[in-house]
Amino acid sequence: MKRSARGAGTEASSGLLLVSPPAIYALVLLAAPLATIILYSFFTDGYLEVIREFTLANYWETWVNPLYRTVMLRSLLVSVLVTAATVLLAFPVAYFVSFHVDPSRKSLWLFLITIPFWTSYLIRVFLWKVILGYNGVVNSGLLSLGIIDEPLTFLLYNTNSVVITLAHAYAPFAILPIFVALEKIDRSLLEAGQDLGETKFATFCRVTLPLAMPGVVASVLIVFIPTIGDYVTPQLVGGPEGRMVANLIQLQYLRLDNYPLGSAIAVSAMGIVAIISLIFLGLTRRYLRAPK
Amino acid sequence: MIPKPAASGQTMIEFKDVHKWYGDYHALRGISATIRAGEFFSLLGPSGCGKTTLLRTIAGFEGISEGVVLIDGKDATDIPPNKRPTNMVFQSYAIFPHLTVAQNVGFGLRKQRLAKADLDARVAEALEMVGLKGYGARAAHALSGGQRQRVALARALILKPKVLLLDEPLSALDKKMREQMQVELIKLQRQVGITFILVTHDQEEALVMSDRIAVMFEGEIAQLSDAETLYRRPNSRRVADFIGTMNFLPAEVISETAGSIEVEAQGFGRIHVDPKQAASEAPGKSASIGFRPETLTILHEGQQATDREVGAVIEEVVYYGDMTYYDVKIDGTQKMVRLSMRNVFGRPVLDRGARTRIAWSPGALVLFR
Repeated sequence: MKRSARGAGTEASSGLLLVSPPAIYALVLLAAPLATIILYSFFTDGYLEVIREFTLANYWETWVNPLYRTVMLRSLLVSVLVTAATVLLAFPVAYFVSFHVDPSRKSLWLFLITIPFWTSYLIRVFLWKVILGYNGVVNSGLLSLGIIDEPLTFLLYNTNSVVITLAHAYAPFAILPIFVALEKIDRSLLEAGQDLGETKFATFCRVTLPLAMPGVVASVLIVFIPTIGDYVTPQLVGGPEGRMVANLIQLQYLRLDNYPLGSAIAVSAMGIVAIISLIFLGLTRRYLRAPK
Repeated sequence: MIPKPAASGQTMIEFKDVHKWYGDYHALRGISATIRAGEFFSLLGPSGCGKTTLLRTIAGFEGISEGVVLIDGKDATDIPPNKRPTNMVFQSYAIFPHLTVAQNVGFGLRKQRLAKADLDARVAEALEMVGLKGYGARAAHALSGGQRQRVALARALILKPKVLLLDEPLSALDKKMREQMQVELIKLQRQVGITFILVTHDQEEALVMSDRIAVMFEGEIAQLSDAETLYRRPNSRRVADFIGTMNFLPAEVISETAGSIEVEAQGFGRIHVDPKQAASEAPGKSASIGFRPETLTILHEGQQATDREVGAVIEEVVYYGDMTYYDVKIDGTQKMVRLSMRNVFGRPVLDRGARTRIAWSPGALVLFR
């Protein structure tokens, strides 16, 4: 008894030892800055410095000022659209690789899916600028084919271009969790579905899809959470009407030198993302319970 | 043994010269057989013999390259699995992990658009039939192996199929549970009267459960008969080897008439064998005499043989509690053969190296040539 108790103690302490470097790292570089930002969001903005005086004015400004509200709602809309587009397009790809690719070639396919990561994110965003621009690939292509008479202007510097660029950037992140979930499905379950009188499509709806839901939920969160705060893409391809919340925060911090308001916007955005994610998890909870 | 239900004799499944190729691999090589309605039929063979493939051609998961499979008189070639009057119990049971027991069992009833009360009643009835009354609300993933199998059975039987296909359903269970389920399956089959087709590599399981057994090797049916014929009169050395234990001693056919074959068998001398006791072997192989371990009797001191006897030396003794296995060398032979004796009250277990006499009778010997 004593031995096993001591054994467990050693195991726990060695486990603690193992996680402590990342834990310290997370504490210093994540928790501490976060705490600072939350603290700042309750301070008052002075002329050249931050006055350490408690106030809720920053939050009032964030939630009431129509400019901030518009940008926040646009950010939400963009990330919802990006998430929907990415996950809906990722599912067939993951399904194809999992169900229709020869097992010996699956790793090759996964490798191919990760190829976009070989290029820097920044360069990929720039490339979309080249593709969608006034004199870009799409416009010059359509012009030379005679389909259009003058370049299309709705391609770049608006919400559309932000959605297209982000959806492309996050596609591999969405494909992989869905692929893993599909791989875990026992193929005899699909045969059983058909054996019990269901067509292939009905079996997909009643068996494959519910069992793939953990992967879909993971994909949604992996795409939704970072895209709402994306800074580079709206900055480069968004134009004035594609600005998102991260650009606004940058504006407050670096241009207007208003740390407290910038912090309040950041904390509000974080709160909104957290609440939406929790609601989403709550709605899909019943799919996440069943272990395989 | 539990008495078997009588099959009605009507044909339920018919294979006509069925071939299946996987690329260059010839998995089924001309299967022709009929399975009767109401029969408990087993496909028995070592792994890779094509028994599961054959079962899956009935379910519709496996197309065939040549030949015809008829289900209840209809050519099944173009009928998809969901339209066939067959249901399957999968080797892995294939219980839907995201559904409850009741939802699993009722899965196939969706198309029938039953009222909720009727659906619940049908599910409850099916669960009771397999001994899982009151388990409906449980999560499927929380079940034990034996319970999963019962759910799989209920889920298939609730649809009242004409044929129930069982793909090695007992192989994942421990020995005690397996034996219990064998008996339950036989009872269940008798109760519902549906044709059961079982795939198994376990010869004992096939013998215990089946009305008829098809023994398969390398994509072909080697022998199709009832359990007793299969055991007593295997039609080849291969079948004899696969079903239980069979001893072989070299022999030579001396002469052959319509009613009797004269054989010179090592250890037993010159004997006459009924042609019914003779199994045909591929030509070119030398003949041999075969016998089961329990068909010969080791005599204790002073005991007289009822028919004939021969001397032997005991080389090895393996004590099993209810049985003792003796590896003996019969006088005039070089090969060890295995005999078994029940340890009835009062019978001493013999020692290694002891000389003994063995009672035998020509009727117990099977000729392979």
